[in-house]
Amino acid sequence: MKKILHLTIFLALVAAISGGALAFANNLTAPIIAENALAAEKENLKLMFPDAADSDFQQIDVKGNSKTIEKIFTVAGTETIFKLQVTGYKDGTSFMVAFDESGTITHYAVISNGDTQGIGSKVADDSFADSLIGKKGNEKLDTISGATISSTPVVDGINEAAQYFADNME
Amino acid sequence: MNRKENFTAGFIRENPVFSLYLGICSTLAITTTLNNAIGMGVAVIAVLIMSNVIISLIRNITPNEIRIPVYIVVIATLVKIIQMLIKAYAASLDTALGVFIPLIVVNCIILGRAESFASKNNVFDSALDGLGMGLGYTCSLIVMSVIRQVISTGVLNFTNPFDATQMIFEFRIIPEDYVISVFNQPFGAFVTFALLAAALAGYKNAKTAKAEKKKKAQEAAQAALAKEAK
Repeated sequence: MKKILHLTIFLALVAAISGGALAFANNLTAPIIAENALAAEKENLKLMFPDAADSDFQQIDVKGNSKTIEKIFTVAGTETIFKLQVTGYKDGTSFMVAFDESGTITHYAVISNGDTQGIGSKVADDSFADSLIGKKGNEKLDTISGATISSTPVVDGINEAAQYFADNME
Repeated sequence: MNRKENFTAGFIRENPVFSLYLGICSTLAITTTLNNAIGMGVAVIAVLIMSNVIISLIRNITPNEIRIPVYIVVIATLVKIIQMLIKAYAASLDTALGVFIPLIVVNCIILGRAESFASKNNVFDSALDGLGMGLGYTCSLIVMSVIRQVISTGVLNFTNPFDATQMIFEFRIIPEDYVISVFNQPFGAFVTFALLAAALAGYKNAKTAKAEKKKKAQEAAQAALAKEAK
């Protein structure tokens, strides 16, 4: 009995010390890690707005529990960027879409696409981006024929983001 | 075994990767570029030295029955702290190494050294053993990554791990038309690993064969001397 107590207390003590050390390290590094993540995010945002400065982007909390809307940013207070993750044929698409104040699509950029090269990857093509830009986010958008499995979730995602924009932003 | 022998053991005779075949999973996976190899090597050295020191410090008060869980808690804590530091101060390295940083916890080299060396020796020797073994591991990674990177891309480069945009050196060894990109893939890792392990085994065999030959020659000479004396 005494033996068991000794072992338990020793292991608990070791675990407690390690927990304390981890908490200390976490306290030290967590703000820097968060800053790094935000900086990496801003690199992506600059793909769409190359002229904007880092300080022009403001992150907004996502309300509700949407599975597709990951992050929302505003640029200089005029345009709203949604970062979305949607399913596809294989690994799906991670992309960003920006609306102006009237809900019109102004920018569209794909961060990563894990679907078939040459088929699903067409969602990252300029021609698809051109077909979206200038349209209202909540109207019916064209998918890519031949790549519907990848492009339909993208279009649905844009519609969802537009809905969110209409509900929460306007 | 004296200290110097103990320290240099990790390089050839007991090289953890090519001789003891420990920690191969991460070796095969991350040796695509020199940057990854050095980053991983430094992380492993840091964990190895600190875990060896701590385990050696508490070796007399650690109850024998629960020594393995205690070692694992110590190692996991150290690895997690290193991971946080890498995430915070060398973000590009973190993206490149990904899951293999947390996987250092289950790298056999570290638990192996804790169990077979640090739990039986004093703090200084344990720290030295950690440094030696860690350097042996790092050298193996560097050799493999240089071979793979040069054959698969033709370029050897090294960027500052704390600032991905700052290139420390870069030069082209093989013209772009003659590179074999398959060496970037797992296949290339296995081929490189097999060749290097075979080379080391061949070297060790030759060394023992030489020693035996020398011994035999000595014996023969002694026998001849004895015969003459008769």
